[in-house]
Amino acid sequence: MNSPTALALSLERRIHAGLSLEVELALERECGIIFGPSGSGKTTLLRLIAGLDRPDRGRIQLGDDLLYDSATKLNRRLRERRIGMIFQDDLLFPHLSVAANIAYGLKGEPWAQAKARLDEVATLCGVSHLLGRQPKTLSGGERQRVGLARALAPRPRLLLCDEPVSALDLVSRHTLIERLRTIQSAEALPMLYVTHSPAEAISLGSKLFLMAKGQIVDQGPPLDVLATSSLGEGSRLEGVRNLFRATVEDHARDGGETHVRLIDGPSLVVPFHDRPPGTRLAVEIRGDEILLAKGSIEGLSARNVIAGTVERIVPHGAEAEVLVRTGSVLWIVSVVAPAVTALTLAPGVAIHLVVKARSCLILDDEVRDP
Amino acid sequence: MRSDEFAPLWLSLRVATLATLAIVGFGIPLAFVLARGRFPGKGLLAGVLVLPLVMPPTVLGYYLLQVVGRRAWLGAWLERTWGITIVFHWSGAVFASAVAAFPLFLLPARGAIEGVDPALEDAARLLGRRELSVFTTITLPLAWRGLAAGAVLAFARALGDFGATLMVAGDIPGLTQTASLAIYDAVQVADAAHAARALRLTLCVSAFSIGALWLVQRTLPAPEPRR
Repeated sequence: MNSPTALALSLERRIHAGLSLEVELALERECGIIFGPSGSGKTTLLRLIAGLDRPDRGRIQLGDDLLYDSATKLNRRLRERRIGMIFQDDLLFPHLSVAANIAYGLKGEPWAQAKARLDEVATLCGVSHLLGRQPKTLSGGERQRVGLARALAPRPRLLLCDEPVSALDLVSRHTLIERLRTIQSAEALPMLYVTHSPAEAISLGSKLFLMAKGQIVDQGPPLDVLATSSLGEGSRLEGVRNLFRATVEDHARDGGETHVRLIDGPSLVVPFHDRPPGTRLAVEIRGDEILLAKGSIEGLSARNVIAGTVERIVPHGAEAEVLVRTGSVLWIVSVVAPAVTALTLAPGVAIHLVVKARSCLILDDEVRDP
Repeated sequence: MRSDEFAPLWLSLRVATLATLAIVGFGIPLAFVLARGRFPGKGLLAGVLVLPLVMPPTVLGYYLLQVVGRRAWLGAWLERTWGITIVFHWSGAVFASAVAAFPLFLLPARGAIEGVDPALEDAARLLGRRELSVFTTITLPLAWRGLAAGAVLAFARALGDFGATLMVAGDIPGLTQTASLAIYDAVQVADAAHAARALRLTLCVSAFSIGALWLVQRTLPAPEPRR
């Protein structure tokens, strides 16, 4: 399907005396990251798109539908915009059960149809076992997944995420990001995700809009934009993480190890994880915990040696991110800049990824979500 | 004990119930407007609506007479158009006690609605709901404790109203004599029978008041947790 740009907007809005938002942005059916420091206008931008605040001037076009146009004084109501939103503070309705929260946006649909959609999104977001619970009995990660299910239920045309994981612990955080990534690619849902975490931006986004002082100052593939932008003094990309969807294959007979297979990718040895074969979960590996090796390798304690091909190298300062492809899986490996020269890394070079089992963090929201 | 001894008490209960219904009916929209609305004169409106709380009841009653008396504009209009006379009628007691008790509902109700996170209402709008639907499914259920407590307080105040009721509805035994008025009248006559009557009525009204207080205490604390 070759539909026009999913979201196109051009907006102006005065935030306060020292800050005005002036943004032009176009998004395909992909996940766009709105990245920038606090006070750069990220959240304001999302609120303007959702219709929670009103722009001073501009235009918002979602698919074929014009949501706002100051020239013709058009301003569609919130309820007509069909935009889903998840928030930093999950904003679940505290007096309604999880099921009632998710079904809230399905009012007006025939009961059987609403029930089917409720079950569908609950499964998609991993909250089927929580439907009868009250929000106050849920953990932070569970609450956010319920919020996601609630936003997806009425089939939004655009999903806005306002730092949804910033209040969560690490495991819940990456579990939710993995969910979002799966859902985004499965439904080709246009998505805008606000964050100031490079790790989230890289694992989730296909396009990054770098915001500063109310304007988009750079845009492009997340890794490239973040690598070239002067993020901090050291310009170091903290915590680049690989996040893979995987299924449990089997367990080592003597225990201690589990084999998982990445979807459309290689098999990995990870620390023992007590779940039956076929269980779907996610594996997270930090970019700086992966070693690169050229030529043949023997006598290594690391449990995983995976052959791949260098696809691209993104240098930034004293470091570089090397993108390595194995099958359809793309790995991001953080190395120091001299290593690129020492190993004569270049696109197309055959290489081995060396990964310790202990470097593989298993994300399994059915059991591990605290 | 005469059979109509408790007639003033029943009248008081009836008057207070009707007054409370009227208070809640007018009070919820007004509380919502004061809690969420932004318009010029909001402070003035809020002040006027709370005025009955600080005004001496007889003064309030006097002002009410200026509005609904038979020669006042609203009173004359009501009599001409609908044949309704409020003064010296039990409906006058409902009117007077409703106005006197109104602030006791409005203040907690406004606070309760203000206590509902507007972001929750926005979330509901984003999920496709209309304003009325947002109000009935989100705002009201989350504010119900404050609204209920306000209604109970207003009921208790209406039940005991004296001054405003006396000014508007008068003290006609069997017609507009509420419990408070009957107690006053009984105390005026210095004999044992009347004293006993005053005591019985007083105990009954006290029981209702304490019951209302208990209800408020049960309802008000432990509001919905906000995260």
